[in-house]
Amino acid sequence: MTTDLAPPTGPYGAAAASRRPSLARAEVRRITSRRFVRVLLLVALAGYALFVGIAAATEFGRTTPDQVAAAEGRLDEAVAQQERARQLCLADPGRPRDVPPEQVCGPETPAGAFRVSDFLDRQPFVLADQLPDGAAGAAGVTAVLAFLLGATYVGAEWSSRAMVALLFWEPRRVRVMAVKLGVLVAGAALLAVVAQLLWWGTAAVMASRLGTTGPLPSGFYPDLLGRQGRAVVLTVLTSLLGFGLSNLVRNTGAALGVGFLWLAFVENVVRSLRPSWQQWLLSDNAAALMSDGAYRIQLPDSGGGRGRELALSNLHGGLVLGGVAAVIVGVGVLLFARRDLH
Amino acid sequence: MTLRTGVWHGAGTATYGAHMTVIEVAGAHKSYRRRGKAPEKALDGLDLVVATGGVHGFLGPNGSGKTTTIRILLGLVRADAGELRLLGQPVPQALPQVIGGVGALVETPLFFPAFSGRLNLRLLADTAGVTATRVEECLELVGLRDRADDRFRGYSLGMKQRLGIAAALLKSPRLLVLDEPSNGLDPAGIREVRELVRRLGSDGSTTVFLSSHLLAEIEQVRDAVSILARGRCVATGPVSQVLAGGAAGDLRVRVPDQRRAAHALTAAGFTVSEVDGALQVHGADDPADVVRALVAQDLYLTELSPVTADLESVFLDLTRQQP
Ligand SMILES: Nc1ncnc2c1ncn2[C@@H]1O[C@H](COP(=O)(O)OP(=O)(O)OP(=O)(O)O)[C@@H](O)[C@H]1O
Ligand SMILES: [Mg+2]
Repeated sequence: MTTDLAPPTGPYGAAAASRRPSLARAEVRRITSRRFVRVLLLVALAGYALFVGIAAATEFGRTTPDQVAAAEGRLDEAVAQQERARQLCLADPGRPRDVPPEQVCGPETPAGAFRVSDFLDRQPFVLADQLPDGAAGAAGVTAVLAFLLGATYVGAEWSSRAMVALLFWEPRRVRVMAVKLGVLVAGAALLAVVAQLLWWGTAAVMASRLGTTGPLPSGFYPDLLGRQGRAVVLTVLTSLLGFGLSNLVRNTGAALGVGFLWLAFVENVVRSLRPSWQQWLLSDNAAALMSDGAYRIQLPDSGGGRGRELALSNLHGGLVLGGVAAVIVGVGVLLFARRDLH
Repeated sequence: MTLRTGVWHGAGTATYGAHMTVIEVAGAHKSYRRRGKAPEKALDGLDLVVATGGVHGFLGPNGSGKTTTIRILLGLVRADAGELRLLGQPVPQALPQVIGGVGALVETPLFFPAFSGRLNLRLLADTAGVTATRVEECLELVGLRDRADDRFRGYSLGMKQRLGIAAALLKSPRLLVLDEPSNGLDPAGIREVRELVRRLGSDGSTTVFLSSHLLAEIEQVRDAVSILARGRCVATGPVSQVLAGGAAGDLRVRVPDQRRAAHALTAAGFTVSEVDGALQVHGADDPADVVRALVAQDLYLTELSPVTADLESVFLDLTRQQP
């Protein structure tokens, strides 16, 4: 006979544990319940809407043949005016005679010096140009947002010491961190994907209303998708950088301060004192990751001859950013796993 | 026939074998490193056994190592040496398996200040697979239901403490560890906690390990007690047994002329001290011996009563006389 004592139904009633425990569910709930996170995303969305609205209202517009004709007229007028001024200058008796007239009055206005588009109030929205440019811009914005999100996510845990309380529930510290990192990576990737899709949709609408959707150069979509994929990678990596930094210093504000100081000050100092080290700087590698083809950095002349040129590939950019993120996150997790917590 | 007791399926995953103790600590040492000073010895060879069932008081003056012991048991702090068991399993190794049966409130409750009390509990409930119903029950239990949607930041000290207790109860733990649970509570709150602890301790499935530097808190609820001083356990066992080791056996004597009486008793071989305006006689095996010695000197008693040791005097005795 086996006598199993019934599981305690809790001191006062219902069975306590009857759902599957899920650290991930708790973390998702935690991060989405944060007011800072919600406000940040809302502000970003509002800023985006405002930016697009202003651009649509003032920058872009489809042009009628009349408008083009008027712009061509203004172009001809501008060319003529410039030519008149040159003639006056050449005819000026006070003009120094020992200097060639081109140097004083400038050369004859070449054809194509002005473009019709320069004389249009609004440009047509050309999908082939604007969509990839905007994708890179969106990558920059989501990268900054992700850094903030990563930093505040774990920073708030430390400052409230809820991180310690969590260990009463899941004592495997590495697992606690791994789940947090997983949720963050998924969240950052989602953020980047949503932002890219949002921009794609916006660009498609703007092109069809305010410009042109074609013709697209060959290889347009593969290039675009590649760039968007790298935007996701960049966003994930900056979220990890923010998380790692904040986890190391255990404070959101300090992490943001360090991040700002690094980008705004340290990297610029390095750039001017040791130009060849630029290949290891975060900002340059972020740019390298996002650039189409190699990202070229012109190094100043180091005595005689032309200055050298650094060419950083996408892979180089990704590996450097990823390596730095891995070290920062790894050290933080290691310390967390070993230290006494109070 | 196999008879298994104490088998419990907790927190969805863990199953515990039969065992009679919930906490075992043997030879635990812990020093905290300090910058530029000798390390602080928080635990100095602590031995501790807490049997299953009831309320076990964990008593010690400030800085005696109570919180340190609890932190080590819960895996927050690593012991320098010693063997520890929780619910019969070695910790910290088996902590992931046993933690589902252990609820704890250590010092101040640690919650997310911008979240409501309810959301804070829900997050923990998600982590442990506890239902939303249980969250409500625990809120009810500590009397926080009405304020559950307020932010934790806006809670009073006592309300924060109550939420901490609610969190510790969420798992319906077999072992409930409460470190100074009455911190910041008003008299009514202290009484509520006391009653809650008592109820839990007698429900047959929960063992409460109640740490405090306040005697009053422990005196009213304890079944067994361990007294800690300078990182060591100086007394442990059922309360009656611990009390017997103290001032028990003394007699209180009142006579009109106390000075002569003191002389007479000392001459008769007793140890005498004056306590609260009466004489306290130590080392008398039989009260009749005392009466005889006094009557022989024409001293007549107005009172002769046994001194019942209270926990306070034992506690002060034990924690003071340590080297
Ligand atoms: N994080 C720490 N760093 C350094 N020393 C510490 C730390 N935590 C505790 N100590 C020291 O360890 C000793 C035991 O502290 P502990 O907190 O365990 O005492 P306690 O019995 O819980 O006291 P109290 O009744 O005041 O809560 C004290 O001397 C304390 O100064
Ligand atoms: Mg303490």
